[in-house]
Amino acid sequence: MNLSLPAFYGYLGQLAEGALITVELFLTSFSLALLFGIILAVATSSKSRIIAAIWSVYASIFMGVPSLLVIFLIFYGGSAMVTAVLGDSASIDITPFSAGVAALSIVYAAYIAELLRGAIANLPHGQFEGARALAIPPLIMWVRVILPQVARLALPGLVNVWSFMIKETPLVSLAGLNDLVATAKIAAGATKEPFIFFIATSLFFIVFSAATLWLATRLEIRLDRGLTRTKA
Amino acid sequence: MSGLPIDLALAYDSMPALLRGLMTTILITVVSLVCGLMLAFPLCFARMSERPWLARAAETFVVFFRGTPVLILLYLVYYGFGQIKMLREGPLWLLFGSAFGCAIVAFSLNHAAYMVEVLRGSLLAVPAGLVEASEALGISRRKVFLWVRMPLAIRYGLKAYQNEVVSFTKGTAIVSVVTITDLTAVANGIFEQTYDPFTPILSAAALYWAFINAIRLVFRFWGAYLNRHNEDGVAETTSLPTSTLERMTGAGFTTMTTTADPATSASTGTGKEAA
Repeated sequence: MNLSLPAFYGYLGQLAEGALITVELFLTSFSLALLFGIILAVATSSKSRIIAAIWSVYASIFMGVPSLLVIFLIFYGGSAMVTAVLGDSASIDITPFSAGVAALSIVYAAYIAELLRGAIANLPHGQFEGARALAIPPLIMWVRVILPQVARLALPGLVNVWSFMIKETPLVSLAGLNDLVATAKIAAGATKEPFIFFIATSLFFIVFSAATLWLATRLEIRLDRGLTRTKA
Repeated sequence: MSGLPIDLALAYDSMPALLRGLMTTILITVVSLVCGLMLAFPLCFARMSERPWLARAAETFVVFFRGTPVLILLYLVYYGFGQIKMLREGPLWLLFGSAFGCAIVAFSLNHAAYMVEVLRGSLLAVPAGLVEASEALGISRRKVFLWVRMPLAIRYGLKAYQNEVVSFTKGTAIVSVVTITDLTAVANGIFEQTYDPFTPILSAAALYWAFINAIRLVFRFWGAYLNRHNEDGVAETTSLPTSTLERMTGAGFTTMTTTADPATSASTGTGKEAA
């Protein structure tokens, strides 16, 4: 052990800052992915063959390519893309954080949309017909009738996406973000104590997932409250 | 800024280097998949063992190596194991002394942890009555496992296995951090030489896409082969509660996944109620 206690506390502070960045990155990306995922799922839930074909190309691309490449693509090429779309006057600097948020939310929106599409397809068709028969406008039908039921069906899958996505957020450190993993790597290199810092980092991920899993179980029980199963 | 962002000439010129990178990616993937699977079997038996200490130990392994991001695992093995003096002087240094060996160790541990849960879920899905009937016929436990439980478990777990293999393969894109020039590293290198942000990365992405979809095709044929006795084919490989999502192995969160789509479990529930 060649690490004094004050030095260790100093690194602990840095790790906490890194952890905050990791959690911020994750929560921002997950919320955006969820939002885009819902929009994509609703937009592609029509029966049209063309929309289905476009969707399957989109899903195939983002589910068939490593997230790391998408992060690099946006980090290196993001400002060129923005200039190409908005004209030369709009030039922005892409930070690792914004590149990570953009890449992770684009990739995981595809996963979440795929999941929600499955849940929507599993709803009884009468729900849609009933809403139409009651002349409920489409927006209210989706928000008040369809999506609450979809949430119940899709929750277990969403939890899986959640716990898988948190394990992909460290990839953004490879684009230069000073997140938890990058900080741990610096601390491990400086102190020559790789085991302490990397294991502490992985425990952070494990505890974070476990805590949110517990919350998700509570949420699932709540969403299921109208359908308490009667088991024979 | 106009037209296609892809420089076709550059893409063509860098193809040999990218293909060499792809070969490295494939090599690492295949070796880790094999090692991970070999590790997963004994761990899965330990996990399902009736001795609590053994089951507890295997469970701890699974929780740790499933819960840790692969990047940290890779750093841990690459930077950490070099610090252990005993290891540095022992014969195992042949393995841990090279970046390639470290990558294989880290990836195999991660894959093994996921596969323990896939295997366990698939083995538990085999109707208990079938196993009891085989035992009643006096067939030895080893033979029951090899010829009754495994053949069925493979069919139940194939979809989960495919998802794990696909997402694992995508996860290998990080090996460049330990100086291995895989497909991602080659693309990055070309970017650093040319400052073309699109061509190398999009070419690499196309190669990854082709590789991932080749894996999906192999699994589709494998599934069709396993179910060749069935008229309507797909039913048996999808009966484990999994979705199209990656790593939806479910077994770790059994309470969460049992509610997954009632429609399919209702239509394919025949086999499982036999017990």
